[in-house]
Amino acid sequence: MPRDGTLPARGPRALDLLNFFVADVQTGFGPFVAVYLTAHKWTQVQIGFALTAGTIVGMLAQIPAGALVDATPNKRAAASGALIGVIIAALLLAVRPTQLPVILAQMLHAFASCVLTPAIAAISLHLVGHSALGERLGRNARFASIGNGLAAAVMGATGAWLSSRAVFLLTAALCLPALIALAGIGRGPHSRRQTNARAMDWPGLRKLLSDRRLLVFGICVALYHLSNAAMLPLAGAEVTMRAGSYANIIIAGCILVPQGVVALLSPWVGRASAQIGRRPLMLLGWAALPARGLLLAVLPGPWLLVAGQAVSGISAAVFGVMLPLLAADITRGSSHFNLCMGLLGLAMYVGAALSTALGGWIADTVSLPVAFCALAAVGLAGTTVVWTMMPETRGASV
Amino acid sequence: MRAAHRGTVTAVVALLLSAAGNAPPSNVQRVPPEQALAILGHTVTGPDGKTIGRLVDVLVGDDGEPQAAVIDFGGFMGVGSRKIAVQWSTLHFAPANTKQPITLDLSQDQIKAAPEYKDPAKPAPVVMTPTTTSQ
Repeated sequence: MPRDGTLPARGPRALDLLNFFVADVQTGFGPFVAVYLTAHKWTQVQIGFALTAGTIVGMLAQIPAGALVDATPNKRAAASGALIGVIIAALLLAVRPTQLPVILAQMLHAFASCVLTPAIAAISLHLVGHSALGERLGRNARFASIGNGLAAAVMGATGAWLSSRAVFLLTAALCLPALIALAGIGRGPHSRRQTNARAMDWPGLRKLLSDRRLLVFGICVALYHLSNAAMLPLAGAEVTMRAGSYANIIIAGCILVPQGVVALLSPWVGRASAQIGRRPLMLLGWAALPARGLLLAVLPGPWLLVAGQAVSGISAAVFGVMLPLLAADITRGSSHFNLCMGLLGLAMYVGAALSTALGGWIADTVSLPVAFCALAAVGLAGTTVVWTMMPETRGASV
Repeated sequence: MRAAHRGTVTAVVALLLSAAGNAPPSNVQRVPPEQALAILGHTVTGPDGKTIGRLVDVLVGDDGEPQAAVIDFGGFMGVGSRKIAVQWSTLHFAPANTKQPITLDLSQDQIKAAPEYKDPAKPAPVVMTPTTTSQ
C-alpha cells in the first residue's frame, strides 16, 4: 500500500493546490453561463437548450467516463486530458458565444467533469491508500471549498465590473495552475499501479452492481441532492424578491458562508470518519438537510437566510468527504473505484435535476415555505435511510 | 478547365467589388445603431442610474405595438435572479446614449416583489407605472 513516506513530500501539497484550482475552474460554469449568454443576446429558449445539452451529457457520461478512468492506467493523464477539455470549453464560450460552439462547450465541459472528479479521487486514493483516505479527502474538500468561495467572489466581481466574457477567460487561465499542480503530484505509484480494470471483468462488475451497500448509498446520495439542490436557488430568488438593491450581496453571502463552513469542518469530518466510522457522520450531514430546509422556511428576513445557508456547510462538508470515501470502501480490493464514482455521480445528477423541478413546481403552485418544507421532508427521508439501512463501510484493517 | 476557373475568379471578384461598393439594393436602408438599438440582452438602468437587469423579451399585441418587456434582474453569478414583466411605457430608449440607452421608470425596490414572469403561455403579471395602477 503506497504511503506518504514513499512519495516525494510535495505530492500532498500539489494535490491541495489541484483541488483548489479545479474548484476555481468549475465555478464559472453553472448558473453563470445563463447570465453570460443573456448578455450575448441569446433568447431564453436557446439558453435552456444549451444548458440542457450539458446536463444530459453530464448524466449519460457519468458511467462511461468512470469506466474510462478505471481503464486508464495513468490517472494523471486522464485528469490532464479533462483539464485541457475544460480549457477548450471555456475558450469556446469566451470567444464564440454562438449556438454550435456553446453547445459543444457545454457538452465538452460536462464530459470533462465526469472524468476529472473520479480521476482526482483516484489520485488521492493512490497517494495515501485506504487507511488515510478519509483525512486526505477532508483536505481535498477544504481546499476545494476555499477555491470555490474565492473564485465565486473574484468571478462575481469580474462579471460585474469587467465583463462576463472575462470570467471564462479567467476560467481557462486558471486551468494552467491546475495542470501544473497535477504535474507536481509527481510520479508516484498512482501514475501506474492503479485500480486498472481488465477489459471485461464481468464477475467484478456483477459483484459491484449487486452490492447492497452501493444501492443503499446511491439512494442516500440521490435523496441528498433531491433535497439539497433546489434550496439555494429558491432562497436566492426569495432574497431578490425581499431585499431589493442589496440582494446580490446577501446571495453572495448565501454562497460564500457555506464554503467557509466546509473549509473549517471537512478536515475534522475526514479524521473522524476514520476514528468513529462513516455512519455517525453521514447521519450528521444528512440530518442537517431537514434542519436547513425548516430554517429557510421559517426564518424571517433575508439576512437570516444566510444563517440558514450556513447549516448547508455541515451537509456539504460531510457529503464531499463521504462520496469518494464510500466509493473507495465499497470497491476495496476491486478495480472499479471510478465506475462506482460514476454510478454515484449519476445518482447525484438525477437527484439534483429532479430537485429544481420539484422545488420550483411546489413554490409556484403552493408557496415557497411549503417548497422548503417538502425539500426538508426529502432530507428527512434520506436521513431515515441512512439511519435504518446504511451499513458501516469502514474497513476492518484501520 | 482553365476557362471555368477564370469564370469563377471573375465572379468572385465581381462579388467582392459589389460588396465593397456602397451600392446596396434600392429597397435597403442603413440604420445606424445610434438611431435604432438592438435591445435584447441589453442592460436596463433604473431612475437612480444604477443597472437593474437585462431586457430579455418583449410582449407584443395585435397592433404590433409592444405591451411589456421582460427584465431579468438580481442574483449573484446567476443564482437568485428573477424575471419580471414591466409595462412598455415605463421604458425609455435613447439609442444615441451609449452608456445608458435603456432606462426604466421603476426602481429595483418597486419591481422586486412583483410575481415572477415564467410561462409565456400564461397571463403575464405586468408591473404598471404607479399612476396607471392607481386608476
